[in-house]
Amino acid sequence: MWWVADADSPSDAGDPGDGSADSVGSTAAADADAAGGPAAAGSVIVPVEPTSTLRSTIAHVAEAAATGGAPAIHLVEIASWRNGDPESDERAAAAERVLERAAAWTAADLDDSEAPGAADVEVVTAVIGADDYLFGADDYVRVLAEYAEANRADRVVLDPEYTPVGNTTLLQPLEFALSNTSLSVETAPVDRPTRRERFRTEATTGRLVALFGLSLGFYLLLGDPTYWFDAVTGVATAAIVSITLSRVSLDSDPAIPRTPMRILRGLVYVPVLLFEILKANLVVARVILDPRLPIEPTMNRMRVIVGSGLPLMTLANSITLTPGTLTVRARDSDLYVHSLVPWAREGLFDGSLERWTRFVYYGRRSARLPTPRERDDVAILQGDDATEELPIAAADGGDVTAEGADPTADPEEVTDR
Amino acid sequence: MSAAALETARVWLVVALTLFGLFFTLVSMTGVLRLPDVYSRAHTASQADTLGAGFGLAAVALTVGLAGAGFKSVLLLFFIFLTNPTAAHAIARAAFEEGIVPWTEGDDRR
Repeated sequence: MWWVADADSPSDAGDPGDGSADSVGSTAAADADAAGGPAAAGSVIVPVEPTSTLRSTIAHVAEAAATGGAPAIHLVEIASWRNGDPESDERAAAAERVLERAAAWTAADLDDSEAPGAADVEVVTAVIGADDYLFGADDYVRVLAEYAEANRADRVVLDPEYTPVGNTTLLQPLEFALSNTSLSVETAPVDRPTRRERFRTEATTGRLVALFGLSLGFYLLLGDPTYWFDAVTGVATAAIVSITLSRVSLDSDPAIPRTPMRILRGLVYVPVLLFEILKANLVVARVILDPRLPIEPTMNRMRVIVGSGLPLMTLANSITLTPGTLTVRARDSDLYVHSLVPWAREGLFDGSLERWTRFVYYGRRSARLPTPRERDDVAILQGDDATEELPIAAADGGDVTAEGADPTADPEEVTDR
Repeated sequence: MSAAALETARVWLVVALTLFGLFFTLVSMTGVLRLPDVYSRAHTASQADTLGAGFGLAAVALTVGLAGAGFKSVLLLFFIFLTNPTAAHAIARAAFEEGIVPWTEGDDRR
């Protein structure tokens, strides 16, 4: 059976026995050893911070430890404060909570693991390095190495999002410095959410209020605004929605002249977009009903200037809504757009949708930029007019871009018939 | 214009809108059957949603009146216009990341 040992050293803030301010990191580690029971060679150390990938890192470590027969998993928080600092007690308590949660996850993962060694893996938590101010990667590594030596651990698994002091990206220097020690270092092979800052933003009052108003308005629009029951349930629903989702749904605060102007300009854009959709629909319908099926599909690349986030989504969705053009990938400000007929491609390169998107979000002045074609921000990736290679052609190992796809290039493609 | 004439015009408009909607849905279906690969089919599949459902919902709104259910059908259209391109993009992107090369002229797959 697993068990959770608390390996806090006496020097840790928040510990009643605090007072050994002269102790160094190794003391903490030695105490951890004593409290954590017998530690044999092969234990794993995981530096812990509350990151988005901590959960999956722990899942990986637990599975690896269970199958590899590691005697213990040490979850350590490297203190970025020093004991006795103002607020050090709060920070130590916060670190404890993170460690507790991480230990619970590890325990649960070990419990669920089917590997025979899972039951013998011990989970130890510790806060280390709280006796000193740590500067830079070398200090962190020194503390980690001392802890590892005292606990006979030989492996460090790093969470890919791990940053010991807030926002500074210390992971790479940390990995490099660790590689100079006898410890083996591994970054957990877990998926990092791309652009996580976009999915999870700060919660501010402005966003909370905006989202509350929006949800309540929508709820009452669907119900009966004059009926008291709808008003009460609407407020409750809007409160739940705004509290749970205000961090993910809006990525900037609503601002007074800007937000209403965007909405107004958006209302102007809607009929324009509808007209574009109607026009493109008729052209595509004609092509499809033509017995010869005169299509010339190509993949294209266009570097757009609209800004990231919502404007880019608006543009990409507008392009997809218009038949004949389909946004396949958005990479930074590069849109990969598939076009069905040259007419649709030319229309895309003329950039009217891009211009309208800029108009909606930034006003008339910004709308007047040169078109993508004039800026030379466009490329055709397929067909006779190809100006650039298709980025996926390399994976297929053939030059399928220049003269159209080679039918024998990839057996997998045939399934796409 | 008398009320009866207005009513007749409304009915004919509803019929016309429904037929337009059906037409674009039919085109969309034909396209899905005739076009060669996943990317080009995604183009035409979105037609059924944009104009097919668009005209259909316009007919609904005109039938039930803009108050109440008619207004909701406009909202419905709004959400279709948000979700349809997102879904089409997700399919196309998945195909792209699988390494499926888009069909071009001269390709035997058809």
